[in-house]
Amino acid sequence: MTEQLPAIIFLVPFFAAVMMPMIGMKNQDWCRPVALTALAVMSVTSISMYAGIVSHGPISYAFSGWAPPIGIEWIADGLSGLLIMMVSLLAFVTVTFAGPATPAGIGGRIPYYYTLILLLISALSGIVMAGDLFNVFVFLEVASLASYALVGLSGGRALISAFRYLILGTLGAALYLLGVGYFYAVTGTLNMADVATHLPELLKSKAVMAGLIFMVLGLAIKMALVPLHGWLPDAYTDAPDSITPILAPLVTKVAVFALIRILFWALGAKTVIQDVPILLIVSWLGAIAAIVGAFLALSQTEIKRLFAYGGISHVGLILIGICLGNQTGFAGGVFYLINDAVMQAVLFFIAASVFYRHGIRTVTDLVHIRGQMPWTTAALVIVGLSMIGIPPTGGFFGKWYIILGALDAGNYVAVAAVLAATLLTLAYFVKIFEYVFFESTSVAKHPASEIPGPMKFSMGALSAAIIILGLVSDQVVTLILEHALPRGLIT
Amino acid sequence: MGQIIDIWLSRPNLITFILIFLWGLYIMIAHHNLIKKLIGMYLVQTSVIFFFVTISAKSGATVPILFDDGAMQPVQYANPLPHVLMLTAIVVGVATLGVSLALVIAIYRQYQSLDEEEILSQRLE
Repeated sequence: MTEQLPAIIFLVPFFAAVMMPMIGMKNQDWCRPVALTALAVMSVTSISMYAGIVSHGPISYAFSGWAPPIGIEWIADGLSGLLIMMVSLLAFVTVTFAGPATPAGIGGRIPYYYTLILLLISALSGIVMAGDLFNVFVFLEVASLASYALVGLSGGRALISAFRYLILGTLGAALYLLGVGYFYAVTGTLNMADVATHLPELLKSKAVMAGLIFMVLGLAIKMALVPLHGWLPDAYTDAPDSITPILAPLVTKVAVFALIRILFWALGAKTVIQDVPILLIVSWLGAIAAIVGAFLALSQTEIKRLFAYGGISHVGLILIGICLGNQTGFAGGVFYLINDAVMQAVLFFIAASVFYRHGIRTVTDLVHIRGQMPWTTAALVIVGLSMIGIPPTGGFFGKWYIILGALDAGNYVAVAAVLAATLLTLAYFVKIFEYVFFESTSVAKHPASEIPGPMKFSMGALSAAIIILGLVSDQVVTLILEHALPRGLIT
Repeated sequence: MGQIIDIWLSRPNLITFILIFLWGLYIMIAHHNLIKKLIGMYLVQTSVIFFFVTISAKSGATVPILFDDGAMQPVQYANPLPHVLMLTAIVVGVATLGVSLALVIAIYRQYQSLDEEEILSQRLE
């Protein structure tokens, strides 16, 4: 049974997605319970799978019994198990949150909303578990198609943003596929583990370098790495409020995960550290993204756009950690990736809540939530502290391990970039806090109007998760160090 | 220099691939019409498919079926895998085109135009 879990985790949301239009035709009220049930089953299954991985070692799932490298392989190891758990739990919490806000934002297209969300989640779990370069492409495209449709679901302004996202995303996918073609032409295999065994003797080939560049470029578009981030702020600002919290934490982070898989599993840690300067290039790009993203966030007035730029900056921080080439940095990067996913979800929960209750879209209007929304304000404070990196939140420990790794590697540019991004993050959160707490405009006193129960539950759960991640950071990082490290990474 | 040109001319398919790819990219960037952008996007996708077919093409090859008498040699087979991959990639491309055309129709209903400049000027109002 346990060896079938990867397929079950993928198939539960997938079947629910396929069933959703039929259920919606029968009765729209059933869509939400069915979607939540599917995601709950997926979450429970992924937790039990991760427990199994920790105690019994990684699962390699060979489709239709064809052993890899001939057949298609899915890998559920310490890293993908962790990520699957993150994806399914966040999806469950986010769909719970989106309940009350959904119908208004998307004009009654309820069955389609749940279909696309579930399709997105199943495709993301496919990317996370894929052990094969082409499989990553297919699931990347399924996930992207679902996200284009989700961004454009509400119509109006969002359509243009969705169209731009589609054009750029498809270009990214084409570049990635081209890179896969180069790799296949050189190595004759698509299985990542098999590529890793063939590559060391082929490193002189220019085709490997070209293929690597194309793949990294394609994934960089998908993860909105500066300067290829053009699609993200518009898409996330214009997407409906019930959809941004699910796109922002998951889509870019899973693209980062695909890059980790390719760099450290398909190429191998030894290759990327010693033979190819790709880690250096990506970490420089990450440093630029961390600073530029935070800098652009500073000048934003719209709440959602500000948070979107914050997300761009944090993708850079994750890449810095992962590309340091040592265990501490890698573990810090992965830990920060998980933290960042939770933080992004809470940030867009807040943006959705203040609009849901008070119709607030801009930072200056945040004065109106003072004394009105204690839960939302508390969540904002917690996530703000975590984004800046103040203990005991998860964000602090993620940055802490990244900086420790950078000091180990003697990479002082990375340390400087993390610190600069931290200062800029502090600056834009001070701006937000100033409007929420200090700005002395006379506020008309309404009776306190808090968000409905499900939204409160989700926001509270994830804010608590930020603190808990901080408190158990030692254990989580130990888990990553023991089970999720690529082979051959130096200590 | 003459040697490089010789190498280029001996690989007309790859030259064609580069031309189609860059042509598609140019159309995507330079044209304001949304449908033309989609045509450019589709050209880029098609050029990648063309690339895969090129690297797996083999003249005088046979079908990849193993007979019991062992008369066939694996060396003679045309590799089926890239072709199968491209069937998947074509399906992905068709799905992308479907979603994008649906988006364009929705944009046209909203703005009564397909010109990007005009849509953006309407959006700013």
